[in-house]
Amino acid sequence: MSLSNILEDWSKYRKTREDGGFHDYEHMWGMAIDLNKCIGCNACSVACYAENNLAVVGREKFSKGQGMHWMRIERYWDEPDLGEGRVSEFNQHGANFLPMNCQQCNAATCEPVCPVAATYHTPDGLNAQVYNRCIGSRYCSNNCPYRLRFFNFYSYYEDSWPAPLEMQLNPDLSVRDKGVMEKCTFCVQRIRTAKDKAKMENRQVQDGEAMTACAQTCPTSAIVFGDLLKHFNPDADVVETQVTNMWRTHQVELGRSSQNKQNPELRGYRVFEGLNTDPCIMFLERVREV
Amino acid sequence: MTKDINEDIKWAKINEDVLRSMENPRKGYWMAIAGCLLLLSFAIGAEIYQYNVGMGPSNLNWPHMWDLYIATFIFWIGMSHSGTLLSAILHIIHADWRKPIYRFAEAMTTFTLMTAGLFPIIHIGRLWNMYWVLPYFSDRGIWPNFRSPLVWDAFAIATYLTSSALFLFMGSIPDLAICRDTATGWRKKLYTVLSLGWRGDDRQWRHFRKAYLIMACFLIPLAVSVHSIVSSDFAVSIMPGWHVTTFPPYFVAGALYSGCAAIITLFIMLRYFFRFEDYMTIPILEKTAKLTFAIAMVWTYLNIIEFSSIWYGHDPISKELLLAKFYGPYAPYFWAMIFLGSVLPFTLAVEKLRRNIPVMMVVSLFLNLGMWLERWMIVTPTLSMAYSPAAHDVMWPSWVQWFIVFGSFGWFGLLFLIFVKIIPSVSMYEVKEMIFHRRHMAKKDIAEVMHRRTTDKKTPATESPGLEGA
Amino acid sequence: MSNKVNRRDFLKIMGWGGVGATLAGCDLPTTVTLEEGKEQITSYLVPEEFVIPGVGVYYASTCQQCPAGCGVHGRVREGRVLKLEGNPESAINKGKLCQMGQSGVQTHYNPDRITRPMVRKGGGLTAVSWDEALSLIEGKTGPASGLKGERFAWVTDTVSGHQATLLDAHLESLGSSNHFVHEIINNSVSQAVNQDMLGEPAPHLALDKARVILSFGADFLGTWQSPVHNSVMYAEFRNAPRGVLIQVEPKMTLTGANADLWVAVRPGTEGVFALAIANALATSDPARLDGLPDRLQQLIRGYNIEKASKITGASGEHFVKIAAWLNERSPSLVLAGASAEGHEHGYDTVAATMLLNVILGNIGETIESSGVFPFPQLTARTGGSKDLLDFAKALDGQQLDVVFFRGANPVFTAPDALDLKGKLDKVGFKVAFSMFEDETTLMADVVLPMHSPLEDWGTHVVAHQPRQSLIAIQQPLMQPLYEQTRGFGDSLLTMLKMQKAAGYSDYQDYYAYLRDAFSALPDNIKAGASDIDFWANTMQKGTLDVDTGAGATIAVNLVDFDLPDNAKQDGSYYLIPSARLGLWDGRHANIPWLQEAPDQISKVVWDSWAEMHPSTAGKLGVKTGDTIKITSTTGSIEANVYVFKGIHPDAIAVPMGQGHESYGRYAEGRGVNPLKILALNTDRKTGELAHHSTRVQVSKTGVTLPMVRFQGHDTQLGRKLIATVTADVFERTEGDA
Repeated sequence: MSLSNILEDWSKYRKTREDGGFHDYEHMWGMAIDLNKCIGCNACSVACYAENNLAVVGREKFSKGQGMHWMRIERYWDEPDLGEGRVSEFNQHGANFLPMNCQQCNAATCEPVCPVAATYHTPDGLNAQVYNRCIGSRYCSNNCPYRLRFFNFYSYYEDSWPAPLEMQLNPDLSVRDKGVMEKCTFCVQRIRTAKDKAKMENRQVQDGEAMTACAQTCPTSAIVFGDLLKHFNPDADVVETQVTNMWRTHQVELGRSSQNKQNPELRGYRVFEGLNTDPCIMFLERVREV
Repeated sequence: MTKDINEDIKWAKINEDVLRSMENPRKGYWMAIAGCLLLLSFAIGAEIYQYNVGMGPSNLNWPHMWDLYIATFIFWIGMSHSGTLLSAILHIIHADWRKPIYRFAEAMTTFTLMTAGLFPIIHIGRLWNMYWVLPYFSDRGIWPNFRSPLVWDAFAIATYLTSSALFLFMGSIPDLAICRDTATGWRKKLYTVLSLGWRGDDRQWRHFRKAYLIMACFLIPLAVSVHSIVSSDFAVSIMPGWHVTTFPPYFVAGALYSGCAAIITLFIMLRYFFRFEDYMTIPILEKTAKLTFAIAMVWTYLNIIEFSSIWYGHDPISKELLLAKFYGPYAPYFWAMIFLGSVLPFTLAVEKLRRNIPVMMVVSLFLNLGMWLERWMIVTPTLSMAYSPAAHDVMWPSWVQWFIVFGSFGWFGLLFLIFVKIIPSVSMYEVKEMIFHRRHMAKKDIAEVMHRRTTDKKTPATESPGLEGA
Repeated sequence: MSNKVNRRDFLKIMGWGGVGATLAGCDLPTTVTLEEGKEQITSYLVPEEFVIPGVGVYYASTCQQCPAGCGVHGRVREGRVLKLEGNPESAINKGKLCQMGQSGVQTHYNPDRITRPMVRKGGGLTAVSWDEALSLIEGKTGPASGLKGERFAWVTDTVSGHQATLLDAHLESLGSSNHFVHEIINNSVSQAVNQDMLGEPAPHLALDKARVILSFGADFLGTWQSPVHNSVMYAEFRNAPRGVLIQVEPKMTLTGANADLWVAVRPGTEGVFALAIANALATSDPARLDGLPDRLQQLIRGYNIEKASKITGASGEHFVKIAAWLNERSPSLVLAGASAEGHEHGYDTVAATMLLNVILGNIGETIESSGVFPFPQLTARTGGSKDLLDFAKALDGQQLDVVFFRGANPVFTAPDALDLKGKLDKVGFKVAFSMFEDETTLMADVVLPMHSPLEDWGTHVVAHQPRQSLIAIQQPLMQPLYEQTRGFGDSLLTMLKMQKAAGYSDYQDYYAYLRDAFSALPDNIKAGASDIDFWANTMQKGTLDVDTGAGATIAVNLVDFDLPDNAKQDGSYYLIPSARLGLWDGRHANIPWLQEAPDQISKVVWDSWAEMHPSTAGKLGVKTGDTIKITSTTGSIEANVYVFKGIHPDAIAVPMGQGHESYGRYAEGRGVNPLKILALNTDRKTGELAHHSTRVQVSKTGVTLPMVRFQGHDTQLGRKLIATVTADVFERTEGDA
């Protein structure tokens, strides 16, 4: 701890405030989720359990709402309006499935409210959660409009992995203890591995090299993951990615609370964009005949 | 109009009455202590359990990350407002009827803050790391996040607690000197230290009054800011039902409201148990009741503003939440809060009722229940149904939360019970002051005289009522 | 990789994992070289050469969570397999995996694995050594026992590849032909129709080529045939030009939930629906029926839309709309699944849907020939519930003395009316090759602990092949967790050796057998590689392409069929034992991840529930969360109600999978098993259990138990979380762009 450190911290802090977020991004990881293809099968959710050491809480605790599911499939039974107050007898157009994981907002509402700065924005454009720093005030979860933050209400590790189930735990990330908040990290350990490898080989991270568990397993490839930085900053020193291309095609831009599309019929949108959280996940609207 | 206080009370009797209240605790006192300890021990048991196991047994869940702990925290913080804030305001505007009742009210402030401060600690998941919210120098160079309202809370509450305690202590110094003069044994030593060598000479009085006035002026904005900051825990968020611009004044009004009600409760209890009928008189009770009624109406008005701005506003989700408060699973508690907070105070408008001690006792308790419900209704329904429909959920707190909430009353009671035996719960010197002024200057404009006395340095303080009794 | 299990080596490897380190550290601080018999302290800093600390290595294998045979890559770090990922080289799943595949690691690491051989002694199962268990088996079944012939039987789930070959050899050595293949989630009726009409049981269904898919209860995204393969094709189907999916079924399946148009029909009337569509197609273009026998033409003409609408309960406009889609867009594909098959006239219903395919000209277009697999001894032995009924019949006639179980759990899946438990009791000697103490295993006299699929060798030739047929390779991803478990192939070899069957004594283990079998493969498959290279390459790739002459023309042979009007209304409901992607037929009820993964439709976790239409619920006066009692002629079950509009009012659906009496800590005593109260109706033509035809009475119990669900609110409440655009817009913006 030195005075220069403090001053440096302070100037960085000031800069962050003025610019409204990190501008020295190295990457900006993002997603595009095509609801035309998503079938709501849950593969992403279970893959997430497998990759990220998510605790199985059991029936009792799940019934109390203390479950963990960083990636969850919300299912809604919304029927198109038939007019004149008529209701259809059946769900003729099936269900509305919505895979929701942390939206990795660039203007994340969880970040400013954390008293100890345990959640912050990384130069990778990730909304990171530092388990060791977290004191468990749970304000971040309260302030997340998507409700995508999950709290360790118990030391779940004590009975979630009876031997030898614990051998499956991924050593690349920690098993969380009671009292800390956790959430989707965009499989930061995989990003880390990909970046390290690229750095060792003295090259850029290629598209598809860093891949979240959910995107990787999605049977219909509805989830596309990649680096969005090129979309955000065309001069950035990163590769062109499929996800950037999708955002561009659908004329969805970061840093906006409402999109100004040349073609308003394009399907891309972000959930609760109007709250100006600036999420890094773009959804493509569900499509139905009729 | 009946007089606020009997102007013929002998000063010796004042000393005698007040000092008597501090001695020879009766059986009832010990039973009260035992009751408080019992409540507290349940809470400590629950907290130990929660500490060992995690936050799970409290029934907190996703999305109900906050519940009774935070609601009760605001409740206690709110209650703390009346004591010091009212005392300071009334001091500045020279409303001398505050004098018999301000001491215990200030004590209440200090102790409610000490109670409230426990809740954030109880509620966080890793309470052993609580100190991380404070900006201390560390080798890691990590600071708290100054953008977070929870950090503001930590500052605000710590400041308020320190200043209120100081204000309480400062105001008690002349009385502590009286205690010193009569006490024996270890109490003598204690009061000798506490009274800081108070002799009651002219210089001391002059400095004392100045310091006291400065403290009062400092405390008024501080107290208002404290509850505004607490309200920003909610107002700063983007959640419907929390993101409300009127929250700071609304919280301050609610705070004063519950504090006044608590003053009435304690007023009646002290009057009854310590036979303070001569000091805590019905007219003073009436004044407090009128004040409470006025604040209740302000609170009601702010409620109406909040509801109507949502109703006529442009945010469908806030509106949905408002309707859910009206009709949803928490509706019985919401309507109970409206009844207790906005309808019940009309009993205070009726002279016959507000002069009736038992009625006032019951009403004041219910008003505080209403205020507690208000805090719960701020915290919980928003969490129950905000933006994400998939996260809509209804949660009822478990015994762990209830034990800790009730235990906090035990803790507060315990502190207060200890207080009444250590520090005079009625300010002796100020009651004498009041009587003196009433007796001698009844016909003059008291405020004017007092004003002159405190501001005009040249006028010698020839009549120093404090000395006489001591 | 040798198949010899050495606990010490295993622990040494384990030691590298953080958790393993504790385990090894407490247990055995030193390592012992068995050769020398003396202890040596070996530092963990010297790992096995194939272990690179901190680096995950991927090995290819095949998922065994369902019979689809998806290729997996197991991520192995410090000797532990950590995660399964789809093998991009596999033509079946193309790098994708479903939730059941993902949780293969929890089957492997399951805390309730059987770790020791067990033998029934005085009523209970007692742990014994392999030698003791094997000598017992040898005494009862070996040449010395004197038993021979049809007194022996194997009961398995789908089995294929070299395990099937060895199993056949074992049966042959015993002189028996009793191999009962039991899968409660099956396609047996469709396979029979395919065989009869197309000449092959499992043609390749090109979902990706279709522009319209009309599916009669075929949950191809969930539990039908090869879900991940189908999903991969489905993604292609949904790309521009976007195909239309119409799902006709009484209970909304996962596929139904993704349909453009979901049509609820009265259970068992799918065939009528199909004929009415044919009728509508013929009305607009009479040439459609050219070449059909008069009898079928008449049958089709007999079902006009009005009549069909009355029988099926579906609105007339749906028929018109569907026929219009089929007219406008081709090729199309008509599928039939469980709800169509599961009635007494299941065969006829499926035949009607296939007839629709014929009329639409889909045969050879979207229904492609899979060709002939060149190694018939390796092909999948598939089965359904007829084998279960046959097995029960054989038990009834006291025809069996010795039964071997592997994979299937008939005691759990058999309806109570079959009294399989009572019948099995009378069988003299039962051997279970099992990983878990499931209901069937607990009835066995000898229980042999098996390797998990991630520890075992195997080859798999799945019944539902992709366009490019393949042999899927299963290789161990790590050393076995337990000293005492053995591979299924190894066990079969042991059994064969026990029978002194000629030609097997040379194989030290199943691995040696497989190596030999691979060496013996014809050169066109090996493509000129040396045996070692070929083996290494195949292991690395995880699959072996086999030329089957797929895509040959299919000769259609129209079969005659007849459909009942099925209009009897007696106030009872059809019980639908629905299959869910997750717990499957109950075999995954012991996987915590899958128990905690919400059901896709109802979002219930850790429990059973009964789905019900709001009008039915209104009639009964129940709401979501209330408990109802469902009574059939053979028993009753109780479950919480989930009320939604995705089920026909005549049907009550209770998912399969829960209701285990024993199957480890995660499965036991949880929910109910709807299969238990099924009536023993069978399909008229194939003899398969008509599992969707049971009629039940439903009554309110007055109890409301907490229902553990994930979803808070069932609609979006007007928020724009998901918006739907029409296909026109999609075509405008993304079509052919």
